[in-house]
Amino acid sequence: MALWCRGVQRILVDVRPIFSLFQTIGNTEYSSLSSVSRPEGLGSDEAKEAKTVEGHKPIVPLECRFVYPEFLPDPRLDHRNSLREKLERMDMLNRRAHIDIPEFYVGSILAVTSSNSHAPEKSSRFVGICIQRGGCGLRASFILRNVIDHQGVEMFYEMYSPVVQKIEVLRLEKRLDNELLYLRDALPEYSTFQLDMEPEFLPEGAPVPVNPIKVKLKPRPWLERWERQELKGVQDLGLPERFYKRAAEVARPWEKYDLMKEYRASIPAEEQEEIFVEVYSQLQQLEVMRKKMKRRRTFVRPKKMG
Amino acid sequence: MNQADVSKLMSRLRIKYKPVRRRLKNPEGAEGRLKKIRKTLTALLKHERIELNYNRADETRGYAERLISDAIRYGDCHRATMELADYWILEKQLIHKLFKVLVPRFDNCPVSYTRMYRAPRPCPGMYYKRAVLELRGNPYPPLLPDMTANRNLIHNVLLDEAQKEFRAQKYAEIAKKLEAADDNVIKSIDDGDEESSSAESSGEDETNVLGEAQVQQPGEKVVHPSQNMQ
Repeated sequence: MALWCRGVQRILVDVRPIFSLFQTIGNTEYSSLSSVSRPEGLGSDEAKEAKTVEGHKPIVPLECRFVYPEFLPDPRLDHRNSLREKLERMDMLNRRAHIDIPEFYVGSILAVTSSNSHAPEKSSRFVGICIQRGGCGLRASFILRNVIDHQGVEMFYEMYSPVVQKIEVLRLEKRLDNELLYLRDALPEYSTFQLDMEPEFLPEGAPVPVNPIKVKLKPRPWLERWERQELKGVQDLGLPERFYKRAAEVARPWEKYDLMKEYRASIPAEEQEEIFVEVYSQLQQLEVMRKKMKRRRTFVRPKKMG
Repeated sequence: MNQADVSKLMSRLRIKYKPVRRRLKNPEGAEGRLKKIRKTLTALLKHERIELNYNRADETRGYAERLISDAIRYGDCHRATMELADYWILEKQLIHKLFKVLVPRFDNCPVSYTRMYRAPRPCPGMYYKRAVLELRGNPYPPLLPDMTANRNLIHNVLLDEAQKEFRAQKYAEIAKKLEAADDNVIKSIDDGDEESSSAESSGEDETNVLGEAQVQQPGEKVVHPSQNMQ
């Protein structure tokens, strides 16, 4: 369902000369931890953890939290309600039994078919790159972006909305950042995708690839002050020195040490495990069903020739 | 509805914490708040028991718990945890204490690593509430009196009753045996057979001694599982 549709008009202007590269300073270990886009760092981290917590073997793989983040509740204490969360999880599983919601990440290219009473076939299909994932429970959502007829278009979909008919992953990959909102200020070729794109399949059991592409932004004015955000997937911004000075002034490097802030924004590991133990077997069954269906679909009956 | 941040795994805290942080007013803003907490946290690790204002103690408590739980979870070979310890602990020799003393101490601790008590405040004085914050397993004498020997404690009342019942049962058994023995003696006297009566009496003594030993068995004092951590 398109709750809102945002069109952004873009004018191509000559790109300014390149100035000094904006360096992101910080805790290297943490940067690798915080990015979903580095599976090797995460793998080593989990191995270490498994070693430290001896005797207690998690029943469900801990990667679940990256694949199904919307099953984890809102970490805000005043929004918590265990009964509501449980009911929502059941509803989500019921919805997943009806439509196939595949694994995807920010940076993956999706095609969503949704009911549209104004379209002639009563449904419309939109292809775009996922630039943001948000929300939890039944309100989990994502934003797709594409440039159609030189016009930037973004569609906001709720994953469990009854209006969504089909979600296809055309290219499964991750990017260097957790949000790609800077594509709104980037050159249009970075968010232009063919509407008749063919789905690309990864080999079975392969890790999700990380696309290390660095995006070139248009010159200012921008929608946000991108130089103040530690973006990894952006080419150097080519700003005058004063912008970087100001960015350094307002930077908050101590926030990565704020243990309770971190804790208040996340769900502790024990609780995550409880939740995924509850839903994992059903999710696994759905996954197996999906694979079977896919195989059935790919089988083409040979035609009689002549 | 926010999505939970799943980038880092952390252990669940065993304390109650406020949903929103306290600002701990200071001219330096958010950074100053962390600096204040850092000083208190270092003092807590150093002295193991400190008395301070309630709000600051409660804020610090969460950070101390998180730091110790991370140290337990990831160990001293994890660079991110080491950097955290380096930031939070101002006196660097205490980093060794964290990893070599506190981690083994709290490794299998099922409860929180710290305790907080409300402390009295001087009567005509500042309004601020005071608190005592301490690490569990500290070497000081406990702040709260040991109530486990209190006879009115429900466990002790139940144990006393059980003990009484057990004794009554044993006395009844002994009385029965004595009666039986008396009957035997009377019978034997009637029969005029002295040898068998002497053997019976020696058997009686044995049962009596056994009964006494069993009566004293039930424990006199309740021991709480949490007392081991004190």
